Amino acid sequence: MIPLLNLRLARPEALVDLNAIPGLSYIRSEGTEIAIGALTRHREMEFSPLLAEELPLLAEAIPQIGHPAIRNRGTLGGSLAHADPAAELPCVLTALDAHLVAAGPDGERVIRAEDFFTGFYATALAHQEILKEVRIPLDRRTAGWSFLEFARRHGDFALSEASVLIFTEGSSNRCTSARIVVGGSVERPLRIESVEKLIEDEISLSSQASSLADILRRAEHLAETEIQPGIAGGENSDYLSHLTGVLVRRGLESAMERWRKR
Amino acid sequence: MKVPELVKVSLEVNGHRFEGEVEPRKTLADFLREELGFTGVNLGCEHGVCGACSVLLDGAVVRSCIFLAVQAHDAKITTIEGLAKGEKLHPIQQAFLDHHALQCGFCTPGMVLAAVDLLQRCPHPTEMQIREALSGNLCMCTGYVNIVRAVSAAAEKSRISEKP
Amino acid sequence: MTGAQWKGQAIHPREDRRFVTGRGLYLPNISLPKMLHAAILRSIHAHARIVSIDVAEALKVPGVVCALTGEQARALSKPLRPLIPLPVETPYYCLAYEKVRYVGEPVVAVAAVSRYVAEDALEKIHIEYDPLPAVVDPEASMKSDAPLLFEPLGTNILWHDCFTYGDVDGVFSRAAHVLSERFLIHRYASTPLETFGCIASYDNSRQYLTLWSNDQRPGQAMPILAHSLGLSITQIRLLTADIGGGFGNKRKPPYLVLTALLSKLSGRPVQFIEDRRENLMGLVHACNGVMDLEVAVAGDGRLLGVKVRDIADEGLNVLNPTVHSLLKLGNVTNCYEIRAVRFDGYSVMTNKCPSGANRGIGKPFMCFAVERMLDGVARRLGRDRIELRRQNLVPPEMMPYTTPTGELIDSGNFPETLNKLLSLIDYESFHEEQKKARSEGRWLGLGLALAIEPSTSNQSSYMLTTGKRTASGAAEAAMVRVESDGSIQVVLGDVGSGQGHQTAAAQIVADELGVNFEDVQVSPYFDSLVSPWLYTTGNYSNKFAGTDVGAIQGAARKVREKLLSLAAHLLNSSPEELELADGAVRSKKDPKIRKTIQELAQVAYRDLLALPPEMEPGLEGRCYYRAALADLPDEQRRVRGQLFVSNAGHAAVVEVDIDTGKVAILKYAIVHDCGTVLNQVIVEGLVHGATAHGIGAALYEEFIYDERGQLLTTTFVDYLKPTAVEIPDFKTDHLESPSPYTPLGMKGVGEGGAIPAPAALANAVENALEPLGVRLSELPLTPERVWRAISLASKKTE
Repeated sequence: MIPLLNLRLARPEALVDLNAIPGLSYIRSEGTEIAIGALTRHREMEFSPLLAEELPLLAEAIPQIGHPAIRNRGTLGGSLAHADPAAELPCVLTALDAHLVAAGPDGERVIRAEDFFTGFYATALAHQEILKEVRIPLDRRTAGWSFLEFARRHGDFALSEASVLIFTEGSSNRCTSARIVVGGSVERPLRIESVEKLIEDEISLSSQASSLADILRRAEHLAETEIQPGIAGGENSDYLSHLTGVLVRRGLESAMERWRKR
Repeated sequence: MKVPELVKVSLEVNGHRFEGEVEPRKTLADFLREELGFTGVNLGCEHGVCGACSVLLDGAVVRSCIFLAVQAHDAKITTIEGLAKGEKLHPIQQAFLDHHALQCGFCTPGMVLAAVDLLQRCPHPTEMQIREALSGNLCMCTGYVNIVRAVSAAAEKSRISEKP
Repeated sequence: MTGAQWKGQAIHPREDRRFVTGRGLYLPNISLPKMLHAAILRSIHAHARIVSIDVAEALKVPGVVCALTGEQARALSKPLRPLIPLPVETPYYCLAYEKVRYVGEPVVAVAAVSRYVAEDALEKIHIEYDPLPAVVDPEASMKSDAPLLFEPLGTNILWHDCFTYGDVDGVFSRAAHVLSERFLIHRYASTPLETFGCIASYDNSRQYLTLWSNDQRPGQAMPILAHSLGLSITQIRLLTADIGGGFGNKRKPPYLVLTALLSKLSGRPVQFIEDRRENLMGLVHACNGVMDLEVAVAGDGRLLGVKVRDIADEGLNVLNPTVHSLLKLGNVTNCYEIRAVRFDGYSVMTNKCPSGANRGIGKPFMCFAVERMLDGVARRLGRDRIELRRQNLVPPEMMPYTTPTGELIDSGNFPETLNKLLSLIDYESFHEEQKKARSEGRWLGLGLALAIEPSTSNQSSYMLTTGKRTASGAAEAAMVRVESDGSIQVVLGDVGSGQGHQTAAAQIVADELGVNFEDVQVSPYFDSLVSPWLYTTGNYSNKFAGTDVGAIQGAARKVREKLLSLAAHLLNSSPEELELADGAVRSKKDPKIRKTIQELAQVAYRDLLALPPEMEPGLEGRCYYRAALADLPDEQRRVRGQLFVSNAGHAAVVEVDIDTGKVAILKYAIVHDCGTVLNQVIVEGLVHGATAHGIGAALYEEFIYDERGQLLTTTFVDYLKPTAVEIPDFKTDHLESPSPYTPLGMKGVGEGGAIPAPAALANAVENALEPLGVRLSELPLTPERVWRAISLASKKTE
């Protein structure tokens, strides 16, 4: 916000500082969910043992947000409400099927992450609503996970990013479902359903290396194809879709590796 | 509700109390530099990327150019000028001197404070951790080589002095 | 102890202490009473006629004191004089007049009580523009149907010339092999962290201008200011304190004139400091360009001749174009013995930011083209790229070596630089490492580049493009004074921006006068009333080693001689029997017979009747030192463009991510030779920093304009500077081939690393992708560009 003020690209008549609101900074376990207050700073999430233990996908993404100075001040709610599709948290929280609690003069309501991000820097928040809390379900079926991003330099906004979650039932060898959400050069975080289906249909721990490699190659092409129309780029949209495919493949490789190690 | 033209700000900088009346749009960097005279806070971009304006706010490093002065009400701020104790330099400042971790010096205040923040959180960082932590501070002169060496040495020195 | 006690000492710069405690006196930290702040309204069009400007509303904003338009600037100042003569006049003022010619060009300036208020006022200024078609591509700009930046000129080509040395046509027609390649380089800039700024205080009562600035060429700024403002130099005092990085970028006389005019109008001091967006849009960009390089090679691998057709895109630079071109000309044969040269050069205008000095100025591009071509030659002839280079290097026995264009390579051992480099990068074992990596699906490559790194510009070289002789030679000035209490003061003409000049100067003077380094005080600041200076005074072309050292030493020697004479008189001896050591002049035979410098100063300033009758009081030496090597262009148009030649070899091991095109630097080795090393700490720091600039230019930095001339990279979010993660640790080694022509054998070092780095990296990436047959002749090597090159090559092999 302030960079835009300094560059005189934004001219709000009034700015309301939410930092003064007490009681909105916390990270709590609530049984089947983790609840994080909207004013929790990235830095607190970064060093939270609870998150490292229970939500490793989130823990993997947070250190990649900007730089320490940014993480010292940036908040979960701020990042989500800003809704930059190249930021890490919108992508990750969509993958984790988070539920966002919005509060306004008419009361509170819950919005699913998938429905929250409506476009470039646009959210489903109504005119006088703020984000109060984010609730993330703990899914015990999580077998493997990975967050990857591609940026020109360390800490830059992602040209492409992918959050990958693989689920299984009990001690089964088969993947029962997957959630793959990409971000970066798109308008909002997008699920790659064609790849989710492929993974559900074909991936198992006992897959041969060569057939696994083949599946992953197909996953890459599927992702590249599915994301194409959603890429907000001009002449380089082919490169950006290609990058997305690569990150999905690599994310799956990494998620599989983690599954194997469990 | 009418937005006030000037807002009272009271804060502590380098251990001293200061007060002022500022426009809401005034940045903390400008307030520190112009009103309070802390010209060690440098402006390199004014859009929160280069890190030259870094200060410690309530102990953590922040970019003062994208921080409004009014937001710093009641905060405790440390600028580069507040790091040394009289003639005695902070170990990181000394390490920067010992390793010639600067040339023109413009990035140095921010770089030193970012290093202070790092070693507070992570007293024994690896080289990559140092580089990542300092990746939010641009230097156009040194190529970072001596800066990384200086921070490494400062961490090592404190590790040695920690040993019983 | 006498002699060279301080030369070669790795003393950490004393300047560092004030910077590490936040006490740098940078321009933005200087404040004068009643000072106003200026803001500039800049063109939003790349090319347009200015129809009308209305500042009435702006002037009514509380706190605004005055405004200035181009028309007023034209009435109040003379046009800034261009370096090269043009067939018609192209008047250029500190603000746009009649037309705007690039996005970001200054149009109106406002002075107010604060920068915030001044910018508020800008929003109230109404400008009516009549947009014109813009041209952003240099080759398009050369065409007859291109939109003209200056209609009366009839062309956008500011300069075109063709230099031929040796039997070029003959060589090319007889050569066993002729290879040609087109190279492209992009726009980038060194972007010092502190932006350009100045404070002008015009005293209307006595017509006297006091100006603070961080401009790095005070010697040039003074006459330009004087001419534009209709003042004599005696009516201007120019002061420079600490500069937060220069690299050539900190030169902008138009801003100095603008601020002076605002001060004159308002009757108060006025400060102008660029913000970062203004800096990226409007201060300076290195020329982008296109170079067609052809090389003639004998069957046995000897390089026989080189032909260059070079188009330099100078943006809107009518003030000093051709600088890049001349330096490319002077570096065209690099470290190699190539006898026939043709350089066909163009300087072209486009609707973009003016070009100017940057770290390397043209030499990185020249080195890129030559070193890339050499890898290509090796490939074509089936020769090893190292051996091909070695075969063609100018051998040490031939030093000093005059190149076909007249450059004198005064010293250097290129084969040894190469050997040390190969050892440092562990070249021998790389082949195996690469093979192993390839078998694991990793794409590793090693590339290297050798470069001459000349320093100290000879002003005469501009005669090649200007056709007239207004300045020639290379020089600097310094003053050394023993004060009345025996302490030692040094004042340089030059300004510094982090190169440790203060410390280096103290080392030199301490050696000359036989005192402790700690006892020599060097003023870090330039003051035109106090510092001795000439037109050539300033920080550019790494000239410290070539001229400043001579001036410092010369001034110190004058003081030394006087101390010896005075002591001889007081001790009833002769100067030959005395020596300077330990802060005193003492008898060589019996050191107890001595006079301390304090005692001598006491006489020289107070006890005047004890002086020898013909000796003036005081202990001061002033030296205006000129480099003897500077020459004039001869009838064949050969000239020593830059006088003292350092050299270096860079080698990089990179890993290319074949899926994304991203290049990671795994190892980077630098061997440099800048002659005698006065201070290892300072030298190494400069080598690191310059190399980082080269890496940034090669992989990350790029000014991108769209086809309408809008600059898309206007902040550090879009213009990517490398951070501590992107720049690797460097392995460095050095040689010392002292120059026979400088007082201490030192040669320039500030710029060097920026020259071979892009070439080394491009060679490394190509080496990594060798199995795919990827060819890279365009910078920067962004992941996308590399990926596309891989895709293209893969398609060819399918």
